[in-house]
Amino acid sequence: MSLDDFRQGILEAMSGPAFFVAIALSGVGGLARDVGHPLGAAVVSTLLIWAGPAQIIFYGMLATKATPVAIAAAVTLSSMRFLPMCVSLLPLLRTAKTSIWTQVLASHFVSVTVWAECMRRVPQLPRDMRMAFFMGYGTACCLTSAAFTAGGYFLFSALPPLFAAGLLFVAPLYFLLAVMRNARSIADAAALVAGAALTVPVSALTGGGADLLIVGVLGGSLAYLVHRKFRR
Amino acid sequence: MTDWLLTSFGGLTPYILVAIFGFLPSEIWRVAAVFVAKDLDEASEILIWVRLVATALLAGIVANIMTHPSGTLAAVPFGARIFSLAVAIALFFVSGRRVIPAVLSGLGALLLCGWWVG
Repeated sequence: MSLDDFRQGILEAMSGPAFFVAIALSGVGGLARDVGHPLGAAVVSTLLIWAGPAQIIFYGMLATKATPVAIAAAVTLSSMRFLPMCVSLLPLLRTAKTSIWTQVLASHFVSVTVWAECMRRVPQLPRDMRMAFFMGYGTACCLTSAAFTAGGYFLFSALPPLFAAGLLFVAPLYFLLAVMRNARSIADAAALVAGAALTVPVSALTGGGADLLIVGVLGGSLAYLVHRKFRR
Repeated sequence: MTDWLLTSFGGLTPYILVAIFGFLPSEIWRVAAVFVAKDLDEASEILIWVRLVATALLAGIVANIMTHPSGTLAAVPFGARIFSLAVAIALFFVSGRRVIPAVLSGLGALLLCGWWVG
């Protein structure tokens, strides 16, 4: 691991991608303030959870007074996407000498955007510089986003209400479109449409915090049937 | 359960909520990935289902925020929120699936609608 490669990762992240993620996560600062959480908790949520959709779910469900167990279940379902993402990225990053702990740290930096950008960028690099590059890239994205989460938290009270509404609007919009960009198959599209379409009737029927879990499992399973049908 | 947490941990409660009900259930998959990366086929059926469930869940979250927003976003009329979302999605496809111009146009549409409505 060389410092130069680490710095190269930081530079590439700061040339654009880090700010796109950070702007999206500034909205999380607004959501956190909305449920009465302190600034520190909002920043810690970005550093620790480091998953925009999971953070939106976390604060979105706190706002609906969902039980913590239902929140944890929804968060874990949404973050399951990191399993295939990390599984596909880690073999590109590691060498024969890479320790388990280095891989655990690297996998922490995986988010939708970091994964999508690095799956494209990392294979172009020589293998022995990849891990340091990735660590720099992830650190830069994570810290920039933490700063923007704090900024969003403060801006939220200082902004005119309409701009504060805009901040709340940006985060879900960004993650929806980022997932749409990565959606390659008709099954992905079906999952997006089914998830959106099922939300209104399911929340009307059930109420309470678990309804988004039902939407996810139902919509995802429907999309999986589409996947099976079109594969043959 | 949140009430019990509030009385037990006071000001630390938000941090404990983030750590136990946000960080742990999310991080478990990243850590698990390190250990299954050797054995698991990236194209296996269960992972495809998992990815689709996660995608539907995210769409549900966004739909929920659009239809039942909290806080200041609720002050922007429903029609304006849906219109702005439609503008963003339309620009996403028109611009060749570019995310940032689409987000900015959606944000612009929301601000314009909000300003127009007053």
